[in-house]
Amino acid sequence: MNWTLIAFKNILRRPIRSILTLAGIAIAVAMLFNLLEFQRGYERGLRGELADLGAHIMIVPRGCPYEAATIVLHGGKWPRYMEQEWYDVVRGTEGIEATTAIIMDAIIRDGGRENLIYMGIDDDYPTLRQSWEYAAGDWFGGEDTVILGSSVARSMDAGVGDTITIVDEPRVMPTQVTVSGILQRTNSQDDGLIFLPQRALQRIFGLEDKLVVILVKVEDVTKTEEIATSLRQASAESDAGMNIFPLSELLNTLTSLLSSTRVFVLAIVAVAFVIGGVGVLTTILMAVYERTREIGMMKAMGAGRADIFRLIWLETLITSAGGGLLGIGLALLSGRAVVALLRVVLPHTPAEFALGMTGSTFAICIGVSVLLGMVAGTWPAWRAARISPIAAIRGGS
Amino acid sequence: MNTNGHVVQATNLSKTYSTGGREVEALRGIDLTIAPGEFTVLLGPSGAGKTTALNVVGGLDRPTGGELTVAGEVIAGNGHRAREGQLDALRRKHIGFVFAQFHLLPTLTAVENVLVPMIWEDASDRGRAEGLLRRVGLDHRLTHRPDELSGGEMQRVALARALVNRPALLLADEPTANLDTHTRDEIFELLRELSDEGLAILFATHDHELAERGDTVLRLSDGVIADD
Repeated sequence: MNWTLIAFKNILRRPIRSILTLAGIAIAVAMLFNLLEFQRGYERGLRGELADLGAHIMIVPRGCPYEAATIVLHGGKWPRYMEQEWYDVVRGTEGIEATTAIIMDAIIRDGGRENLIYMGIDDDYPTLRQSWEYAAGDWFGGEDTVILGSSVARSMDAGVGDTITIVDEPRVMPTQVTVSGILQRTNSQDDGLIFLPQRALQRIFGLEDKLVVILVKVEDVTKTEEIATSLRQASAESDAGMNIFPLSELLNTLTSLLSSTRVFVLAIVAVAFVIGGVGVLTTILMAVYERTREIGMMKAMGAGRADIFRLIWLETLITSAGGGLLGIGLALLSGRAVVALLRVVLPHTPAEFALGMTGSTFAICIGVSVLLGMVAGTWPAWRAARISPIAAIRGGS
Repeated sequence: MNTNGHVVQATNLSKTYSTGGREVEALRGIDLTIAPGEFTVLLGPSGAGKTTALNVVGGLDRPTGGELTVAGEVIAGNGHRAREGQLDALRRKHIGFVFAQFHLLPTLTAVENVLVPMIWEDASDRGRAEGLLRRVGLDHRLTHRPDELSGGEMQRVALARALVNRPALLLADEPTANLDTHTRDEIFELLRELSDEGLAILFATHDHELAERGDTVLRLSDGVIADD
């Protein structure tokens, strides 16, 4: 027999009311948990995606560089192009270890239900994407060959040596190509792409001498900004108007954009916590009123103000910590659904992006729940501690 | 104050309430002594001041005049006024209460209810609680909750609870008021046994028949003790 047992039994006395109170806190905690894990998972996923690119600097045509970057990361159709000759300028810049130029296009059919993304790459691409492994076949065997990402190969039911037709008349006339390789699953955007030799894509899609992105790997990472500045100068001198930015800058910009959004979401979470806290306060206060005689009797038996305060506070803490644990469980159960929803709502989500559970997030959520309980429980506990035993036993408060 | 071994020693004890803008003298100059093992009955009609007297002696309320010492602790007298914490400790260690209403915690079993006063001391002695419940004839009801007990059984649990911290004084405020005659007599006999074992008891009742069975009968009327 101890304090905790009494507190537990008091909470269980009104199960529906206690469950509703727990639910109020659980919802707020689940929101906080998902928010914290979202930020962490998003950053980790984005960092992984950018690392997979194997580059330090990205060069894209005029327009919003971040929109261009997300197109590059996920693949898609970008309506702006840069001239092939620019590639030679970039390659000639000092301090560059490797570069690769990419052209992309997409064929969308059935009102968006079928979305085939084609990426034209050059021989330098594998130098940067060293993580590539083949499930079958190998690199291009000629101009009219393709490499399929694992998901595309599965959806097309295509194997090495099979012939597929690229067609989107009248823009793209039927062209038959042969599958030369199928990639291992990478859990990245590559799984959903069809790779062609750069010149073949330019020819088939009528985009001769056009590029969408140039990726640059520098010899010395500490000189990335210096090289980016040099490329910007070259771009300005030739009035090419390229967007040149280090990928670290892209990461910072995307995550800071995310952080600013997080402030608004945090405000909503704070409101949810206030509502949850008021729920706890109301529930415990009602319980104190209902148990006035019991509390009076406890005082008659020798319980001091501090004892009564401690008991009521303990009930509040158990309720709020229970709500916190329930909220974390709720967040873990709903993690996949939340990620699926975010993928629909957000313009860019990393391919490998999941809501997990880290120790710090767990600690923050439980800590906030307990703090909420401490704050919400103070007034009811204080009220209970001040109950007069005589009035209470007599039937008043 | 020299208590001469008395558990309760009250001299010229008074209690005045202020209610609705007027003063009500609930107790007026009461003298009271209770020795260990003495069964004192406070007899009087409703409104005579019995509950006020018990509350004051039990440290639930403070006297407005006179001197009072309980279990060696000076509650009032010679300008001294016990602090709230002192009164809490006095009740916890030396006084047991039983009321007409049993005031058991509905979520706890009989044995858990008996253990409640020990919690304030951060102690727990299940063996003692079970022993007390056996003593009051409830060895078959240890794990029953109050809603599974009869009125007499609930009062026995309340009595065991009042005894769990080994008090020197038991204050009983009409504890048999809500019981049938047979159960009333059983509870009273139990109290007599406890008194015979050395427990000082102050028993408030309006029942003349019961009062006759006490060692000492104090007739209270309008806050004044009429005679012994």
